[in-house]
Amino acid sequence: MKTSMNTTAAPKKKLAVFGLASCFGCQLQITNMEPHLLEVLDQVELSYWQLTSSQPKPNDYDIAVIEGAVTTQEAQELVKEIRQTASVVIAIGACAVTGGIPGLAAPRFDERVEEVYSSTCPQACGSLQAPVPVSAVVPVDFEVRCCPIDPRDFVSVLERVLQGSNRSISTATLCGECKRNERGCFWGRGIMCLGLVTRSGCSARCPSLGRPCNGCAGLSKDANTASAKVIATEWGIDPARFEEALEMFNQQSMEDNCG
Amino acid sequence: MLYRVIDSNELPALVDAFMNDYEVIAPVKSGQSYAFEAVTDFNDICLNYTTTITPPKKYLLPPHEVLFRFNAEENEVVDYMLEVTPRVLFGLHACDINALNSLDCVFRDKQFPDPYYEARRDATMIIGLSCTPTDACFCNLMDADEARTGYDLFLQDIGDRYLVSIGSVEAANILESACNPREATDEDRIAFRHMTRTRQASFNPAIPDIQEVPMLMDAFHSDPFWEELGGRCLACTACSSVCPTCYCFDIQDVLDHDGVSGQRERVWDACTSPQFAEVTGGHNFRADGRNRVRHRMYHKLNGFLAKYDRMLCVGCGRCVYACKAHISPIEVFKFFEQKGM
Repeated sequence: MKTSMNTTAAPKKKLAVFGLASCFGCQLQITNMEPHLLEVLDQVELSYWQLTSSQPKPNDYDIAVIEGAVTTQEAQELVKEIRQTASVVIAIGACAVTGGIPGLAAPRFDERVEEVYSSTCPQACGSLQAPVPVSAVVPVDFEVRCCPIDPRDFVSVLERVLQGSNRSISTATLCGECKRNERGCFWGRGIMCLGLVTRSGCSARCPSLGRPCNGCAGLSKDANTASAKVIATEWGIDPARFEEALEMFNQQSMEDNCG
Repeated sequence: MLYRVIDSNELPALVDAFMNDYEVIAPVKSGQSYAFEAVTDFNDICLNYTTTITPPKKYLLPPHEVLFRFNAEENEVVDYMLEVTPRVLFGLHACDINALNSLDCVFRDKQFPDPYYEARRDATMIIGLSCTPTDACFCNLMDADEARTGYDLFLQDIGDRYLVSIGSVEAANILESACNPREATDEDRIAFRHMTRTRQASFNPAIPDIQEVPMLMDAFHSDPFWEELGGRCLACTACSSVCPTCYCFDIQDVLDHDGVSGQRERVWDACTSPQFAEVTGGHNFRADGRNRVRHRMYHKLNGFLAKYDRMLCVGCGRCVYACKAHISPIEVFKFFEQKGM
């Protein structure tokens, strides 16, 4: 234990941050944790982060942080290259984890490209392809969920990578966390809330602030969507509406979970 | 048991007296429901509250607590953390008092007492309050509709006055100093009996009164009913978040940014959480809703009884409201009823 914890003597791990199709809001969230930013970044050697530095992409790094969905062939190649280079890949934010907002364009993708760009797509767009989460291209080791991420979750995951952790990651859905806030249930008021099937871990922040869950953490792998649709029906909400609402952040993970 | 009577209009003085020396926790309005919260004004207290979203358990077993700090390099505990606020839990219904009595069985175990729980329990005064059952209440079926022990005072509303059962000297002294408690008269006792009968007659008759529930749980352990009930579980753990007797917890070590010092934390866990029975190597002993829900019901309606001679479920009805998939002990009773038991 003594030797493994002795991080001060070992060389710092090199960290690279990559932004794919996204609003860059999750990267910005990292910079938002000013009180701890230097302390956190001091644990690693920051070797690449376009948002904060114009240093070119290095050839080697240990930990790769990827924000955004994969929407081009170029991005897909980059993600593969990142996977081959880095020993640890962390996907941050809904776009990288579930396909997120870019994922909304996935169905009928070619038609949508034509709707926006007509017949000729500008070269700057790259070779467009239907948006997918990072995990659809390469194995992802760690996820920081939600839109945007909570920077404290990012720190927690980074420290898990650097130091190891005995904490189990729960795939329970949100209502249990929400109950602890004691703000009552939206369903009881006939308002649709996606907490029934969405991964917990955010402390049910939106419901605690008076907004129903919109599912930005993504469906839990243990979500019982069939049961949730029965519940929706009971409360007078068309299950099709429930499914449609889920599409916002789960376009790419729907198939796995909704069966 | 010692009984005294105070007038209803003396209650604010009693609560004020508690506020002098204690943090007073009481039911207040929270959205369309109620919650136990710290109060500083008697007028914020909802004496006629139905039930709260979560039980007062959180004041004795917090959802998240730091047990101690450690130094990982030295492999040593450097500081024990124990913050104890002297509190009065005011207005607890009988079910919640009985629930705390069950938690006492676990955390005040003679061989392995939990020092954190004990310290809080010892610094906590419990003031009970009579109630009228909601449609989801079945404390009467769980032998939890009356609190026989576990309180300092229990206030039975008998009209424009309270019959006060006195459970501790400390509380009796405060009652004596803040109010003008008088001896109960025959009239008071008749009113008490009347109120008790009224409460007993107010339970929802649609909730089946099943005899021998623990035995039936064993008899129907492999029934397809558990697939039906557990198959609709959302894996959200709302049931245990609102349960006054769920006491399972997880222990986690959280390192500081330096990776050297850190703290050991205790957080609530739930047997309906998918990872609850997952072990090193990845095997999950209860990998689906059927097994998880069945396990939960067995602990509430069978297993705890075998060890502590009391049902763990107190029939407070909170999970009936919290579970959007309608999974609750009431469904188990209905199943037994359908079986002709």
